[in-house]
Amino acid sequence: MNAALELTGVTKTFGGLTSLNDLNIEVPKGEILSIIGPNGAGKTTLFNIITGVYIPDQGDVKVAGKSIVGLRPDQVAGNGVARTFQNIRLFLNLTVEENLMAAMYGRTRSSLFDSVLQTPRARREDKEKRELALEVLSFFGTRLTGYRLQQPAYSLSYANRRRLEIARAMATGAHTLLLDEPAAGMNPAETQEIAQVISRLGSERDYTIVVIEHDMHVVEGISDRVIALDHGVEIAQGSFDHVATDPNVIEAYLGRGSAATK
Amino acid sequence: MSNQNEQEATTRGIGTDEWVAQHEARIAKPTTAMGKLADRWATLPAVVQWGIPLIVVLMIPFTTSSDYVLRIGVNLGLFIMLVIGLNLTVGYAGLLDLGFVAFYGFGAYFYAFVSSPQFGISWPSWISLPFVVVTTAIIGLALGTPSRRLAGDYLAIATLFFGQMFLVLAVSSDAVQFPWMDEPLDITGGPNGIPSVDQISFLGFTFNSTLSYYFLLLGIVVIGIIATRRIHNSRQGLAWRSMGEDELAAQHMTVPVVRMKLMAFTVGASIAGLAGAFFASVQMGVYPSTFKLPLLIMLYAALILGGLGSVPGLIIGAIVMVVLPEILRFPDYSNYLFLVTVLIGSIILIKSWKLVVAVFAATIAVGFVANAIFLVVGVPYLPIDEWIEGPLAPILGTWIFMPEERLLFGNIAFVLLIVVIAWMTTRSKRVRLFAMPFVLWLAIFTWEVRLLMEPSITRQLLIGALLVVLMAARPQGLFGKPRVEVL
Repeated sequence: MNAALELTGVTKTFGGLTSLNDLNIEVPKGEILSIIGPNGAGKTTLFNIITGVYIPDQGDVKVAGKSIVGLRPDQVAGNGVARTFQNIRLFLNLTVEENLMAAMYGRTRSSLFDSVLQTPRARREDKEKRELALEVLSFFGTRLTGYRLQQPAYSLSYANRRRLEIARAMATGAHTLLLDEPAAGMNPAETQEIAQVISRLGSERDYTIVVIEHDMHVVEGISDRVIALDHGVEIAQGSFDHVATDPNVIEAYLGRGSAATK
Repeated sequence: MSNQNEQEATTRGIGTDEWVAQHEARIAKPTTAMGKLADRWATLPAVVQWGIPLIVVLMIPFTTSSDYVLRIGVNLGLFIMLVIGLNLTVGYAGLLDLGFVAFYGFGAYFYAFVSSPQFGISWPSWISLPFVVVTTAIIGLALGTPSRRLAGDYLAIATLFFGQMFLVLAVSSDAVQFPWMDEPLDITGGPNGIPSVDQISFLGFTFNSTLSYYFLLLGIVVIGIIATRRIHNSRQGLAWRSMGEDELAAQHMTVPVVRMKLMAFTVGASIAGLAGAFFASVQMGVYPSTFKLPLLIMLYAALILGGLGSVPGLIIGAIVMVVLPEILRFPDYSNYLFLVTVLIGSIILIKSWKLVVAVFAATIAVGFVANAIFLVVGVPYLPIDEWIEGPLAPILGTWIFMPEERLLFGNIAFVLLIVVIAWMTTRSKRVRLFAMPFVLWLAIFTWEVRLLMEPSITRQLLIGALLVVLMAARPQGLFGKPRVEVL
């Protein structure tokens, strides 16, 4: 059985700066993996390499056993890896429903002629897309349903935008979700809710999930495994408790000497 | 057992949203008559909403025998076709294509090449029209391929260059020397274009009257509108619109942006090409001067005026941009239009009925005071029947003082008007309100004394002013939804 996501020896440098250095990560199917690390550790670069924004200088990225190095982001998403963005990037002037339906481009087949002539295929796919959108949104309770379905995304609250972005990634039909700081900027109640949603995505839908997160309560609550990065190098991995007490991690966050005084 | 209850409680607790549940109850019902009417209209099925204007448009040929009116209708039809094509590229896909008019030109010339004595070819319409669509699509693809990586301003520059290149080619390709030919070949007819182009004919029916083209283009426009409405929420439409919103995010959500860009270019180009073929056939000739920048600006103005991406909006935008200049050709109509615009404009600006009445009363007073001053000073004036006639004469004739030296006084008033308006914008609301009657009188005085003398220049000025006012009042366009950038 292949891992959902497998990185071997991934290295990426920008000019003289090594952002990721010989990184090896294997994410088994159904695992919720948290990536932590201070600013500039290379977390988002890692996501950008997996999704095809950057091509690694060395190393290989495999999705379900198939190498995706050199593929464009839309092709990577088509292979089952969808992401959210650190600074939310929704289609603001599209409605909630349209945001999800736009993301279903890769899993539908209607041509322009189908769309204009409203052939049976176009109509069937349109119906399926609407049903699927509702089904995906039901995961977030009633927050994005009802009249909100037809509201433009810019009218949503901050937390609902974060939820919609996760829903949009789900709508692509991906089996692996890369969530870039899903709880950033949320209040404690919203943070707890989003943590529950992420846990349920893993347990009920068997999504493989890689999360970048700074809120340690969230990381503790949802992670099967935690990897700590610093300067593009893996400095610790294992259970949350193991990583949280690792002297290297404490040093990376708080500076040299902090581990000793603790 | 208790554990299960607890679990149920938390699942029910997740994401319960009171706003969503109470939404129906929170919606305020419209109270004004206009609001109720708009509400009623919104509940009508789309077939009725579109059917009513369609019936009106169908009736027009039976209520007028004027070829001029029908001709405006034909021009409008062509214009709407172009706006529909432009809407796909600019309104949906967000590609700032400034070379769009070139495709219109290519379509017209290609049609002329295969249906005129220029090369002695006269293909039947069922071959020549598809030929035009395919060739302009190929040219769209040819322009799109090198520009696919350009974004925003850079794409605009590249396509603008393409549009100008087409013009230069069209004007200068009247003597092209091929190495294998003895004499230079006249391809485009140069600045004079290609005359005596065949008219479109299908199954023995030739479209040879303005009326026939009116119905032909009406049919095409109806098809175009239906197609656009269907594309709006289709797989391709959503891909284009999401790309226009955020290209990177769209690409991460499985949309192959390069392919979709090329498709937008190609489809837009072929629609413009088809419109070009119709255009060449309607006027039985092609002339390069048609495809200059003003047409492009008018197209963009129509699109933006109506609201990017909105189907009723682009139709209304096209109507405004095509019909308005025609109305303004007649001094009488433009006089009405000006006064009504001033009236509505000031009502919108002032926002309170009592103040509007007060301002208008003051404006009338200012007019009579000015009259008196002019008379006391002894400025020579024109008798009423020498400068105005028709229903407006008894009202405007006594109120506006018409000096004999219209140019001099008009120019002074014009400069004064601009200065006063510029001064007004820097003052407080109260000062602006007090200055309003004087400004209104000055505007009407300038209009009657000076601007009406030269309708062709005034036309442009008025359209420009109208667009500025409209866009200031509704930046999202008449029918557009406000596009929001959230920071």
